[in-house]
Amino acid sequence: MLARRPLLAALAVALTADLSLLSSVEAQPAARSVFPANAEQVSYAELDRLPDWRGIWQPNIGRVSGDQPVLIGEYKARYEAEQAKLKANPNYEVPETLDNCEPDGMPSMMTMPYSLEFLFTPGKIVVNQEALMMVRRIFTDGRPLPSVDEVDPNYFGYSVGRWEGETLVVETVGTKAGQRLGTPGITNSDQLKISERIYLDAANKDLLHVDFTYEDPNVLAQPWHQNHTFRRDRTWEILEYVCAENNRHPLDAEGQTQADF
Amino acid sequence: MKAALARLLATAALCALAPLAVAHHSFSMFDQTRKVTHSGVVSEVQWTNPHVWIFVDVKRDDGAMEKWGMEFTSKVHLARRNFTQDMVKVGDNVEFTVSPYANGKPGGRFFTIRMANGRYYCDVGAAQKVCDENNH
Repeated sequence: MLARRPLLAALAVALTADLSLLSSVEAQPAARSVFPANAEQVSYAELDRLPDWRGIWQPNIGRVSGDQPVLIGEYKARYEAEQAKLKANPNYEVPETLDNCEPDGMPSMMTMPYSLEFLFTPGKIVVNQEALMMVRRIFTDGRPLPSVDEVDPNYFGYSVGRWEGETLVVETVGTKAGQRLGTPGITNSDQLKISERIYLDAANKDLLHVDFTYEDPNVLAQPWHQNHTFRRDRTWEILEYVCAENNRHPLDAEGQTQADF
Repeated sequence: MKAALARLLATAALCALAPLAVAHHSFSMFDQTRKVTHSGVVSEVQWTNPHVWIFVDVKRDDGAMEKWGMEFTSKVHLARRNFTQDMVKVGDNVEFTVSPYANGKPGGRFFTIRMANGRYYCDVGAAQKVCDENNH
């Protein structure tokens, strides 16, 4: 018994050291805020007041309304150069992240020719895009929209939303530069701000509208509007889509898909 | 009349889908201005994303065997068009039409395929006409 005490003492010292290490690690998260979406106090009753967006939503492809982008600077030059390459060679491929199974992020993830699913939780909406199994979170718990500089640029940016009646109004900042903006050949800078108004059609509850406004001081001379619609399907669930499962077409150094399977 | 209209609308919807039925890459490596048709024996089925592949052993005119790869859209899109994994099995005799690779490699983008039982499966868009004419 006595002989074991030094061991116990050593163990105690080791444990204390480990605990102090743990507490120093734990001290950092305490600096972050607990927003209502993750708070201990929760009410699910608020979900009953929200519109029914269940089922999956398939895009009405090719039926996009809105206005034309007014491009500026290097983004205008690049778009025109890509269009010229396409005109010269119909087989030319505008290089995009998606060509290599890389998610194309916001805003394109919302308009892929696959299905969307909206999951409502108290203070947070999760959007699943079937293609490449992309996921996006929209915080609806009243937290402020961070400034562009506060967000580490990422594929989907940081989205904050609020309900105006039965319309979800979302603002997104912090998307990575170089993602597709609206159409192939146009990309965003890291200053992009995306606004969305998402709502069910007044006459058809199985039609969802997503009205986009893009503002990017490096790319666009004025806000650019694109309006998309989606059809509801209550019979399907989102299907699995792992792009790395069997991608047989590598890209070459110029971003062109290779026919080497 | 009503059925004809419904069919017309369905075709219109499919045509609208056709140019954007891409998954993760363009189809620029295919010569979309050409179609080639071959018959052979299915050697492999890859029921996968981002694209489904069916490989067929084709006997060339000189007698040598050549393995052709047929690229479909994604498993997800095919599932929603009622294509199933058991529609084709290794060993089946099939006839297929593809837009071939522009660089001459033995393969291409799926247009239509006639299964061992005589039934056709067709891509969206123009290929649907082949199914309409042959599947009764």
